[in-house]
Amino acid sequence: MKLNIDGLLVYFPYDYIYPEQYSYMLELKRTLDAKGHGVLEMPSGTGKTISLLSLIVAYQRMFPLEVTKLIYCSRTVPEIEKVVEELRKLMEFYSKQTGESNNFLALALSSRKNLCIHPEVSSLRFGKEVDGKCHSLTASYIRAQRHSDPNLPACRFFEEFDAVGRQVPLPAGIYNLDDLKDFGRRKGWCPYYLARYSILHANIVVYSYHYLLDPKIADLVSKELAKKSVVVFDEAHNIDNVCIDSMSVNITRRTLDRCHNNVDTLQNTIHKIKETDAAKLKEEYRRLVEGLKEASVARETDVYLSNPVLPDEILQEAVPGTIRTAEHFVGFLRRFLEYLKSRLRVQHVVQESTPQFLKDIFDKVCIDRKPLRFCAERLQSLLRTLEIADIADFSAVTLISNFATLVSTYSQGFTIIIEPFEDRTPTIANPVLHFSCMDPSIAIKPVFQRFQSVIITSGTLSPLDIYPRILDFRPVTMASFTMTLARTCLCPLIVGRGNDQVALSSKFETREDFAVIRNYGNLLLEMSAIVPDGIVAFFTSYVYMENIVASWYEQGILENIQRNKLIFIETPDAAETSMALEKYQEACENGRGAILLSVARGKVSEGIDFVHHFGRAVIMFGVPYVYTQSRILKARLEYLRDHFQIRENDFLTFDAMRHAAQCVGRAIRGKTDYGLMIFADKRYARADKRGKLPRWIQEHINDGSLNLTVDEAVQLSKHFLRQMAQPFRQEDQLGLSLLTLEQLESEEMLQKITQIAHQT
Amino acid sequence: MASLSEEVLLVVKKVRQRKQDGTLYLMAERIAWGPEGKDRFTVSHLYADIRCQKISPDGKAKIQLQLVLHTGESTTFHFSNESSALKDRDAAKELLQQLLPKFKKKANKELEEKNRMLQEDPVLFQLYKDLVVSQVISADEFWANRLGDINNTDPSLHNNKQEVGISGAFLADIRPQTDGCNGLRYNLTADIIESIFRTYPAVKQKYSENVPHNLTEKEFWTRFFQSHYFHRDRINTGTQDIFSECAKQDEKGLKSMVVQGVKNPLVDLMSLEDKTLDEGYGVSTTTPSTSNRTVKESSNAAIIKRFNHHSAMVLAAGSRKGETPTDQASETSSTDGNSRDSDFFQPPVKKVKLQEAIEYEDLQRENRPKTVALNLKKSDRYAHGPVPLQSQHYTTSQDIINSVNYIQHEMANYKPNLTQVLSSTAATSAIAALSPGGVLMLAGGQQAINQMVPTEVQGELKHLYAAAGELLRHFWSCFPVNTPFLEEKVMKMKSNLERFQMTKLCPFQEKIQRQYLSTNLTGHLEEMLQTAYSKFHIWQTRRMLRKT
Repeated sequence: MKLNIDGLLVYFPYDYIYPEQYSYMLELKRTLDAKGHGVLEMPSGTGKTISLLSLIVAYQRMFPLEVTKLIYCSRTVPEIEKVVEELRKLMEFYSKQTGESNNFLALALSSRKNLCIHPEVSSLRFGKEVDGKCHSLTASYIRAQRHSDPNLPACRFFEEFDAVGRQVPLPAGIYNLDDLKDFGRRKGWCPYYLARYSILHANIVVYSYHYLLDPKIADLVSKELAKKSVVVFDEAHNIDNVCIDSMSVNITRRTLDRCHNNVDTLQNTIHKIKETDAAKLKEEYRRLVEGLKEASVARETDVYLSNPVLPDEILQEAVPGTIRTAEHFVGFLRRFLEYLKSRLRVQHVVQESTPQFLKDIFDKVCIDRKPLRFCAERLQSLLRTLEIADIADFSAVTLISNFATLVSTYSQGFTIIIEPFEDRTPTIANPVLHFSCMDPSIAIKPVFQRFQSVIITSGTLSPLDIYPRILDFRPVTMASFTMTLARTCLCPLIVGRGNDQVALSSKFETREDFAVIRNYGNLLLEMSAIVPDGIVAFFTSYVYMENIVASWYEQGILENIQRNKLIFIETPDAAETSMALEKYQEACENGRGAILLSVARGKVSEGIDFVHHFGRAVIMFGVPYVYTQSRILKARLEYLRDHFQIRENDFLTFDAMRHAAQCVGRAIRGKTDYGLMIFADKRYARADKRGKLPRWIQEHINDGSLNLTVDEAVQLSKHFLRQMAQPFRQEDQLGLSLLTLEQLESEEMLQKITQIAHQT
Repeated sequence: MASLSEEVLLVVKKVRQRKQDGTLYLMAERIAWGPEGKDRFTVSHLYADIRCQKISPDGKAKIQLQLVLHTGESTTFHFSNESSALKDRDAAKELLQQLLPKFKKKANKELEEKNRMLQEDPVLFQLYKDLVVSQVISADEFWANRLGDINNTDPSLHNNKQEVGISGAFLADIRPQTDGCNGLRYNLTADIIESIFRTYPAVKQKYSENVPHNLTEKEFWTRFFQSHYFHRDRINTGTQDIFSECAKQDEKGLKSMVVQGVKNPLVDLMSLEDKTLDEGYGVSTTTPSTSNRTVKESSNAAIIKRFNHHSAMVLAAGSRKGETPTDQASETSSTDGNSRDSDFFQPPVKKVKLQEAIEYEDLQRENRPKTVALNLKKSDRYAHGPVPLQSQHYTTSQDIINSVNYIQHEMANYKPNLTQVLSSTAATSAIAALSPGGVLMLAGGQQAINQMVPTEVQGELKHLYAAAGELLRHFWSCFPVNTPFLEEKVMKMKSNLERFQMTKLCPFQEKIQRQYLSTNLTGHLEEMLQTAYSKFHIWQTRRMLRKT
């Protein structure tokens, strides 16, 4: 249908529309008009992606000069592919309606592992291996060497692309990962480099967060993306963790040992080169004196996305003299390495701020702040000069030099924690230096600064106001949309007591309590008897799940559950879990029914959807608080309190509840879907916890279901399931939660729609 | 003694049968027993005829072996050699155990077929019980024209019966019971053993390797239950244990399953992440290494692993049969679905799954062919099935108008003929008969049979009808009687019918009389029998006439 969104003609590739989609598009339009950032929460399964795409594509067509590019960031590879498929659907609709083929170019970008078509390289299993192998075939100096020695192996796809591919732009169309590979195969071009090259002139780019948020990758891939782009972060409820992860560094003794080897190799190579090709080193020296002027010019003219690891001040200056020659730099690295080694030789936990660390390093080994800041740049330059093929081998020394730059650049937002051993095993020495980022805004700041509109959206972003605070930006729109329902297809229940009135909770004091474990077992057992097909149960942590499973096994509860359904359990091994997941789905498919025991914050809870019969009930055992004894977390909480005025408990609860919401939200993936959401912990009943659940879940929790016993919950569930099992047709939804164009245009409905968006 | 060509596998002396001493012979194709001092067998059964063997419990004074035949008869042998009775019996048992399954496969196909038919068709089974077991007719007669049907029908129809899956909790169902003194007893049924074998092919392999060469069956299962293999939290199985190899094989199987990967890319956690952080980056990448885990933790991990494996195996055992065709289907679709040169068949699955994932079925207009909804005016009629209707004449409106006109006409031209009126008594009786409760109005007040008669009597009546119907079918199928065989059969059938009436119908009649129910219930049955009798009589008299 064709919609009129606030004066904008939007093609929507379906015959009907959900009211909240319309409302969502209105808000989105406002955000784009204001050229500002937005935070939008809309339940999963209400067609968020297609709404986003429809509106932004329409906007791009209407105002081609205002918005030149859409950068759509998602979290997982399947998600990325889904987005592209939806886009394809939209574009097909466009060409059917307008009768002309449009000249839109949209493509997905992923790592080499997913795009490589080189027969040898693509057969490698791990992403890192693929990257390393690819690099060893395609690095510029390798190719330069090949001029003199044509026997060196080459990647014919890359060569072909390099020779021809850059002149001919990728023809307009929608390219998913497989399409790119297909195209690459036909032309004999490398799909990965083709995609990386093509994102510069594509209208829509779909890739994962890391390409924008991880400075190491963003610098390579996304640096030159146009400023007039709209950036969308979908499934953004964990965006702060992604930011933090990309800026944090851990250094173990093993890292240092490997780094040591790296430095040795560097030194040897330098010696060799000195004998054969001293001019090369001189040339490098000259370049370094020239300084980083080029980068600085580019950034000033706003061509590049700034790199948080490479702050503006550095660009003004040249690399300091102390590390300008190669030997001096290697010596410098050695000193730094020795210093780190000495720091790891501690007997007790040390926590210090970056200025303290810098002072200490100056006192002990006379390393100044300034050369440290240039460490990363200097190393890159050296590696280039020395023509080292396999960068992957030098990951350790790269890590150390990145650390050096970061630690000397930021006096705030980071902390250094040195732990001599793991908490669980105090007898085994395993010293780790955690250089931990506590401020997610550091990594995302360049994105907010550079691009005109950044949309943060997800099914679970409650409470909305916390995201602008922790990411330090000012949104122009913040809205939470509910799910309009013709029938209440979700049934959140809070089970606070067992049948014997024992309070159910996963809190630390009652964690080992047999009564609680037994009652949790009973809950699962009873549910397994009444819920059809699949049940997914989430535990607060892997260790907790292991313990509970063991004691359920001893008590014979699992055997009884097996009478009703098959049991599959998530393990730390991803491959094993994938297999269990597939078998789980198979068991749901063939009617046998199954239970999946899984972990909140685990891979399953983040990336796998349990549509329809794959998840008729989700049971959340306990409140998934993060492990609060971790020093890194404590430091982060302190930082949040001091800088963002967010109390520790507020943040912990927020974090726990967003994960709980993620878990239970896995089961509802649309309006025709239905599922039970069982929160098995009495603490969920409290207003401070409940209030942090997304509005679309919260509004279905009634006061009667706040502190149920297992039996009561079973009764309510039976009733609910029986009701839901009745046939549900399109007509039942029409006019309520599903609208035709005529219905949408009626005055009354437009009134109603304005209420759907909940502004904060 | 026996025919020379037969190979004697085992001879057991001092075996009593019907209180007679004798010798038991196990031969290649049959088991036989002959009394002492005689050179012939009084008992001889082909293995194929034997359904199963039973043995007396261990503690019993008499050491016996019972053979149950397919026909339902049984023969009991009593091993009476004081010193070695138990050993003899066990030897015989073991040998039979090996021999019987071999012959079972060859066993009378027909018999199996009959068995299956009876099992699948409860009505037939009831009929069989009514007629054959109560010896109204013999089994051969019963099957005489049933089997004809079997041979005609397509055998594939019977064979693609859905296979029964395995309960996920079959191991849990083997509840050990204490036998009073420091021991455990496990009761194993054939079903459970079958489940174990199907779920764990490794155990089956062990079984066929070791039983009965190295171990007796009992020993095998004892070891199985003692083994850590059964106890799921096994961590280190001793090397002397025969099941340690099974455990290793399981592990291997699990690993190969894992390595194989998953077909559905949407659940592949390995390829979920696009760009993992490099080593050393990230907040806390320190996962506890497996080496320093405590014993308890690793045993917990083992339990989890076992559960995943067990569930996967149970699932696989249930769907092993159906798997091959679907695999083929997916493969063919992948080859003709896209003709890429080198790409493996991942994309089609992936495409389909992706399309499924982005589908919003309710946002699309339904484009299925329009169906007409079933509109029931009287839903109870639909729910309760058809009610016998009296044959009705439906009249068109024209008919009604005509008849009204006709009556009007009649009335208009009515002239009382006072000389030929009814007598007053006849008139009153007619009125009485026609008023409610009168003789002629009974039909209106009649209740349906299912409300008057208790359900058990109804059930019995149904069985009687079925049985009578069967017998009558046999009876009527003899006509026209033109062969001596049919003549004989018709005579027999008549006596069968009479016997049926005597043994089945009459007691039933008495019973319903005792319960003061309308005797009318069996009226129709009797009527049918009478018709048959009269037909028989007519035929007989004709025959007599012809003979004379």
